[in-house]
Amino acid sequence: MSVTSAEQTAQSHKLMVFVLSMSLYGLATLVSELIPSVQVGIVEFSVEFFLFIPLTLAMLFDPLSVALGAATGELVFSEIMLGQFGGIGEVEKFLTVSIAVYLAGTVVHDPRNLKLVGVAAFGATALQLAMSAGVDILKVVFAVEEFEAVPGLPESVFFTEGFAAVNDLLFSGILFCLLPTLFLVPRLYGKIEPLLGMKPRTPENAPRPVVGRLAAASVALFVVAAGAACLSEAGMSIVEWEADWAGDMQAIFVGLLVAVVIALVACYCLFRSAKLSRA
Amino acid sequence: MLEKLSENVMDKVSIDYVRNQVLKNAYGNDDTPIAALDPRVLIVWYLFFGIAPWFMGSVPMLLAMFLFTAVTTRLARVAPLVLVIFAVGVFAQTGYMFVAALVFGGNADTLTPLLVLTLKVASCSLASITVFSGLDPDRLSSGLLWFGFPERLSFSISFAYRILPIMMEELQNILLSFRLRGRAPAHDTLLGKLRWLVYQVKTIVQSFYPLMLNMAKRSRTTVEALELKGYRYASANPDVLKIRLSSLAVGSNDAVFIAASAAYALFCLALPALLEVL
Repeated sequence: MSVTSAEQTAQSHKLMVFVLSMSLYGLATLVSELIPSVQVGIVEFSVEFFLFIPLTLAMLFDPLSVALGAATGELVFSEIMLGQFGGIGEVEKFLTVSIAVYLAGTVVHDPRNLKLVGVAAFGATALQLAMSAGVDILKVVFAVEEFEAVPGLPESVFFTEGFAAVNDLLFSGILFCLLPTLFLVPRLYGKIEPLLGMKPRTPENAPRPVVGRLAAASVALFVVAAGAACLSEAGMSIVEWEADWAGDMQAIFVGLLVAVVIALVACYCLFRSAKLSRA
Repeated sequence: MLEKLSENVMDKVSIDYVRNQVLKNAYGNDDTPIAALDPRVLIVWYLFFGIAPWFMGSVPMLLAMFLFTAVTTRLARVAPLVLVIFAVGVFAQTGYMFVAALVFGGNADTLTPLLVLTLKVASCSLASITVFSGLDPDRLSSGLLWFGFPERLSFSISFAYRILPIMMEELQNILLSFRLRGRAPAHDTLLGKLRWLVYQVKTIVQSFYPLMLNMAKRSRTTVEALELKGYRYASANPDVLKIRLSSLAVGSNDAVFIAASAAYALFCLALPALLEVL
C-alpha cells in the first residue's frame, strides 16, 4: 500500500511539474514572440530567450518533466496558438530545448551551490544555441539546390548563423539565462517546493544522472533532430537531383506522388498505432 | 505626428489586445467553412499541403500553391495578429539572408532561389495556420488524439487555451504593481534610455518570481482536481477514448473540400505545361 501510494504521489508530482513548466514557459515564449526585436546595425537584441524559466525549474524539480513540459509549452502556446506550427521542423526545436534543459537539471545536485547553477545555465544555453545553429546551417545546405554555386550564399549562411548564435549567447545567454537563473534559483529554493507538496532538492535526493547513457541518448536525439529538420526541407534537393535524368514535369510528378504517399502512409501508421494501443 | 503614430501602435499592442486576439482566434471563429470540417480530414490535408511545396521548383507553381493556401487562410478567418506575425517571420528571415548575401558579393541571381525558398516557407506556414488556427482547440485535440498522439499533448492544448487568459491577466497585474511601486528612470538621454531598457527587462524577469509561485499553487490545484476526477485512469482507458472521439464524423462538406483541393493540386501540377502552351 505504502509503495503504491508513494509511486502515485510521484506520478502526480510529475504531472504538476509538467503543467507548471508548460504554462510558464509557454506564456514566456508567447510574450517573446510578440516583442519586436531591436536591431542595431547587424547586432540583433531580441528577447527571444526566456530559457531561464525551464532552467530554474529543472534545477529545482524533476528535470525530465520540466524539459518535456517546456518543450510542449513552446509547441502549444507559441506555435499552435499563433499558427506558427512548422510541421516536422518543430521536432528539432522540441528536442534541442528538452536536451539542454534536461542536462542542466541533472547536472545540478545542489541548487544552493550557485557556481554550479551558473555554469549549468550558461552551458545549457550554449549547447542549445550551438545545436540549433548547426541544424539551421544543414537545413539551408539541403534546401537550396546547387548551394555552392549561388554566389555569396554559403558564406552569408555560415556568417549569419554563426553570428546569430554567438550574439544570442552573449546577449540573451547572459542577460536572459545566466543572471535571471542566478537570481531566481536561490530565492525559489525551499519556497516553491512545499507549494507542490515536495521536499527541496539536496545532494542526497537529487536525480541520479546515468552519464554514459545520457550522453549517448543526447547525441542520438540530436541526430534525430537534425534529420527531422532536414527532412522537412529536403524535398527540393531530391527533385533537383532527379531532374538531371528526367523531365522537370516527371520529377515534380514523382515528388507529388511521394508527398501523397507520405501523407497516406503517415496517416495509416498513426491510425494503426492508435488502434493497437486502444485494443 | 510620429509621436501620435507610435502612441497609436503602442495602444494596439497592449497585453489586453494580444489576449483578445488569441482568444478570438481560438474560439471566435467556429462558424467558418474551415472550422466545420472534420479535424482528421484537415490534418491529412495539412500533411499533403505542408509537404508538397517542398517538392516544387518552379515559381509559377509555387505561386499558385501560395494563392491557394492564402485563400484557405482567408476562409478560416484567422485573427490579424497571427497574420502579422507570420508575415514578419517569413519576410524578415529571407530578407535578412538576401542582404547578407549581397554583402558577400551576391547579385540578382541570388534572388530567385531565395524567392523560391520564401514561397515554400510561406505556403507551408499558411497551410499550418489554416489548420491549427482555423480549428477550435477541442476539435483539434480530439483529431490529434484519433491519430494516436499522446493524450498529454491533447490535454496540453485544451489546458493552454483555458489557462492563457488567466495567466496573461496575472502577468499584467504583476507588471502594473511593479510599475506602481518603482520609478522608471528618465529616458531623455542615450544613457537614460539604456537604463530604462535595463529597468524594463529587470521588471519582466522579477515579475516571473511571484508568477512562478502563484502558478505552482494553481498547477497543484489543477492536478489534484484532475486526480479527483480520475484523470489518469481515464486517459489510459479505451472506453473513455471512444466516447470522446464519437463526435467526429466525415460529411459531404469534407468530400467537397478534398475534391476541390485535389483538383487544384493537379492544376498546379499542370501549370508549367499550360504556360508553355500559351
